[in-house]
Amino acid sequence: MHPLAWWAWALGLAVATTRTTNPVVVGLVLAAVVLVVVARREDVPWARAFRGYLVLGLWIVVLRVLFYVVVGIKTPGLVLIDVPRVSLPAWAVGVELLGPVTLTGLLTAVYGGLRLATLVVCFGAANALANPRRALRSLPASLHQLGTAVVIAVSVTPQLVASAGAVRRAQQLRGSEPRGLALLRRTAVPVLTDALDRSLALAASMDSRGYARALPGRSDRRVGALLLGSLLAAALGTYGLLDGTAPAWLGVPVLLVGLTAAAVGSTLAGRQVRRTRYRPDRWALKETVVAASGLATAAILVLVSVGDPSALGTGAVDAWPQVPPVALVCALVAAVPAVVGLQPLGRAAGSSA
Amino acid sequence: MIRFDRVSVTYAGDAVPALREATFHVPEGELCLVVGPTGSGKSTLLRAACGLVPHFSGGLLEGRVLVDGRDTRDHAPRDLADVVGVVVQDPATGFVTDTVEEELAYVMEQLGLSSAVMRKRVEEVMDLLGLAALRDRPLADLSGGEQQRVAIGSVLTSHPRVLVLDEPTSALDPSAAEDVLAALSRLVSDLGMTVLLAEHRLERVVQYADRVLLVGPDGTVVSGPPAQVLATSQVAPPIVELGRLAGWDPVALSVRDARRKVVPLRERLAEVAGRGAHGAVPAPTGSAPTAPHLAASGGTLLTARGLHVRYGRTRAVRGVDLDVRAGEVTAVMGRNGAGKSSLLWALQGSGPRTAGRVALPLADGADPAALRPSAVRRHVALVPQNPADLLYLESVAAECSAGDQQAGAAPGTTRGLLEGLTGDVAPAAHPRDLSEGQRLALVLAIQLAARPAVLVLDEPTRGLDYAAKAHLAHALRAHAAAGGAVLLSSHDVEFVAESASRVVVLAEGEVVADGTAAEILVASPTFAPQVAKILHPLEILTVAEVRAALTA
Amino acid sequence: MRQTPADVGHRFDAAAVPLGPRTVLALAAASVAGLLAFGWPLIVSPGSELEHATDAPLVLAGVLVAVVAVVLVALGDGGMDVKAVAVLGLLSAVGSVLRPISAGTAGVELVFLVIVLGGRVLGPGFGFALGSTTIFASALLTGGVGPWMPFQMLAASWVGLGAGLLPRRVRGRPEIVLLAVYGALAAFGFGLVMNLSFWPFQLGTGTGLSFVAGDPVGANLRRFWLYSLGTSLGWDVGRAVTTAVGLAAIGRPALVALRRTSGRAAFGPAPRPIGGDSSVTLGHAEERDTPPA
Repeated sequence: MHPLAWWAWALGLAVATTRTTNPVVVGLVLAAVVLVVVARREDVPWARAFRGYLVLGLWIVVLRVLFYVVVGIKTPGLVLIDVPRVSLPAWAVGVELLGPVTLTGLLTAVYGGLRLATLVVCFGAANALANPRRALRSLPASLHQLGTAVVIAVSVTPQLVASAGAVRRAQQLRGSEPRGLALLRRTAVPVLTDALDRSLALAASMDSRGYARALPGRSDRRVGALLLGSLLAAALGTYGLLDGTAPAWLGVPVLLVGLTAAAVGSTLAGRQVRRTRYRPDRWALKETVVAASGLATAAILVLVSVGDPSALGTGAVDAWPQVPPVALVCALVAAVPAVVGLQPLGRAAGSSA
Repeated sequence: MIRFDRVSVTYAGDAVPALREATFHVPEGELCLVVGPTGSGKSTLLRAACGLVPHFSGGLLEGRVLVDGRDTRDHAPRDLADVVGVVVQDPATGFVTDTVEEELAYVMEQLGLSSAVMRKRVEEVMDLLGLAALRDRPLADLSGGEQQRVAIGSVLTSHPRVLVLDEPTSALDPSAAEDVLAALSRLVSDLGMTVLLAEHRLERVVQYADRVLLVGPDGTVVSGPPAQVLATSQVAPPIVELGRLAGWDPVALSVRDARRKVVPLRERLAEVAGRGAHGAVPAPTGSAPTAPHLAASGGTLLTARGLHVRYGRTRAVRGVDLDVRAGEVTAVMGRNGAGKSSLLWALQGSGPRTAGRVALPLADGADPAALRPSAVRRHVALVPQNPADLLYLESVAAECSAGDQQAGAAPGTTRGLLEGLTGDVAPAAHPRDLSEGQRLALVLAIQLAARPAVLVLDEPTRGLDYAAKAHLAHALRAHAAAGGAVLLSSHDVEFVAESASRVVVLAEGEVVADGTAAEILVASPTFAPQVAKILHPLEILTVAEVRAALTA
Repeated sequence: MRQTPADVGHRFDAAAVPLGPRTVLALAAASVAGLLAFGWPLIVSPGSELEHATDAPLVLAGVLVAVVAVVLVALGDGGMDVKAVAVLGLLSAVGSVLRPISAGTAGVELVFLVIVLGGRVLGPGFGFALGSTTIFASALLTGGVGPWMPFQMLAASWVGLGAGLLPRRVRGRPEIVLLAVYGALAAFGFGLVMNLSFWPFQLGTGTGLSFVAGDPVGANLRRFWLYSLGTSLGWDVGRAVTTAVGLAAIGRPALVALRRTSGRAAFGPAPRPIGGDSSVTLGHAEERDTPPA
């Protein structure tokens, strides 16, 4: 599977998560994400990070609740535990500690935490499913040079870990058992020196294998202007988003203009890089389906919530949250990648390459 | 194909040129061997032939270098990528990607070739070098010989006319080296490629060479047919030394030629041996232990019984029994992955050991693994495969004084040992700027400062030239003669023949042969040194032995 | 004569990634956008589009991804020395090795050692690139790509950029002190701004420590201080201390190693030889045979 397909899917679901406060809808999206990861992940190192993301999500919810109990603004409601209030001195902006814990407040904290946790888990899913090395191959051509640096870093890191182990063992042969800072110095300095020597050998090898032959060696004036313009637009646009009194065109529209300028500039810069790809990752039907599943989920929820903000239900806590039918549809759409492009059992082994 | 016209190279900050007035021509389709002592400018010559000097390294280049008609002054290395393929000394440091297939395609991606061409060429090169089975393997998991072949393949895909290689077999065992050299000679004979090759171990490559470029210590270059150039060269493989001794003209370069010419010499040597003068051949077998403290242990300095080492499911060492005796230089030989390193590290005590006992009779039978590192090194000292791992300071002087302190030796001990091993080394030099030989000597000096009885060396000859190897062999024999013992692992049969008195052969973690160097080396088809192959069935391993026998 | 480390040390360090006036402008504009993205809870006013913080994390992360990418394109525009690319890759790898060893253990964070030292020796442009590539590579290796990554990349890049802008003339022991102090401040600042970017999302709007849109900056800052005090301040101080101590411990040998490489690499555009002249002089590096034994 093309790594960008997984990223499109996960980003779609992340956007969908931000569109609602209804915990049931959020929970359905979360369930779909976990289902897909469980169904599709392979036994590769990066897939193991997913468990960490689930723990992180749980920790986010717990932390949110803790903050509610300790410094939360206690809204009236059904009191679960009555804790006395402690007022802090005036320099603490009038913050009050503790206070009665109400069901409403507690549920609001849990729902809020759940939403952030789901957002984080969506990214965890992308990390677990998309092959990072293949994702690097999809960087735009304009990032050729820094992308190459990252490719080098990713392939060399395991070797440096091994080299650090060898250095530690070798240092013991000198008869001392350094600890703490001495250990850091004795390990880090040889590994660093080794890495630096390697880098020059690597540069020589890259140079004589034609690296940078594909580069123009000079910049295009238009590229510089477009990139600079897009950065200015990013600064202005962000400011526009933050300032409520700024005219409406200063926000999202300026950002979009900047994005277009950046895209054009990057394309122009990339066009100067005359380099080809060996066996580029193919974008086939299954990639389209996976990406569409995430993007469709986002689109449905955005459209529904823009049309009628209460259509998805709310995180209101005085009643059981309702289950809007559209949310069920969304969850089903979001879970489609669990079965897309699966090969018959006998050939499954070949699909991992 | 490669033409040097009065080329001199002077690096910035250097008073003397590294290459002086070099003028020669390498015609198309020749395998040209570049020889010379360490530091003579061999690498400078190779790098000048592919534009890395001066475009990459800086410095001043006078004269003119033409490669396939392109002047390197106007063409940077990257502009020569479709004409010259360069393979650096340690292939692993030149890899940009992490799988075999992508590495093979890298140069074509940079040249902007079309996808279809790339597919076709990758497959062709894989077939040519026997890499098809390794297609998806991560480069880091490959053996040294496989990595070297991938490195060669990764430059072949641009269809260069010239291939430049810097010591392609220095880290390989004999059979892997054969694979690589066979691939190279196929490129020359079948595809008409021009190959420029620098190598320390001339005994491996000299038979394939059409031409030799001899780079002198002063940077001058002599070009000519191998037999003619090597006959008077300072660096020469044992086969040439034997030829000079026997007065052959021209000298033989392959074992096959030499065996035809050697008959009279062999008869004379057999006669000498037959006169009962065999004892006159100074086989470097250990003399009886002389130091009084050794009497109690019967001369045994280290014993191992039933040693097993296992990493996960791999059984690296299986049930090895070994006694290391004073006065002996023992060489552990075997294929890559035969368990040599694991055995040495386990014997020294800091490597993993799954089962078995190791004891130091002189330390009341203590197990080195149970002692503290500072105590172990007073009995057993190990020099690892990459000696630089032991070094962490910024100057030779700092390393020496740290070495004295850690060994508890008098100030200046390490420095003195170092001078004894390699002569003068600038104290302010960065250890990484030393030559391979000097760096090994520095680490050896640091380890010897603690006066260990047993010295263990893992592959010590990597990157050493003949002079440095002779120095090292001398130092090891001296350590053994003083009542110590040396245990080393090596692929370098000539070095083992020169330095070792005993050889242990490992295969799949088990000892398959153990005996005197002469017995084991003469009988083995892969581990026999050139002189033994030529003089078979006589048990003579080195030119020095031949010379001694003739003068006896 | 071979250059000894001491000789190299006296020279001014070369800039591995040269900064032209246009790149400087680009860095400035990107930094302004970055400051807004980090500090938005302090300055957001009521009625603005991000007030309710529902999709702010994604929007701002998206803006920052684009900003960082554009700056990196601008840095590489017009060609970057192949040696700079290789050194950048290897130093990022060293950083990626150090990062997982240290992450999470009571604020021990060694990755800044590499970024600060690299920026110091190889210049501000290189330092900026190094910050981004290190974070990106280690995120790829550990599966840590998320909305926080562009924030981390930009903050780490600032750390490297700042290290490259420190006074160049300081050498010897004062240099180590300077780097240690800078490293401590930068590491502390990194923790603080990362905390600032995560503060609104972790707390939501319903607590006494949450940001209040339109409140005076001072009041929001005080709430943020209290929040930091209760959460990550211990970690941030730990990170600052380890960075300073680590720089003091390995600063000198690491600077020697970096300057040795920088001297050998002779960064910078190679002057093209002029036709007709029979000799070529380029750079001042030494990449050569080792001297005779």
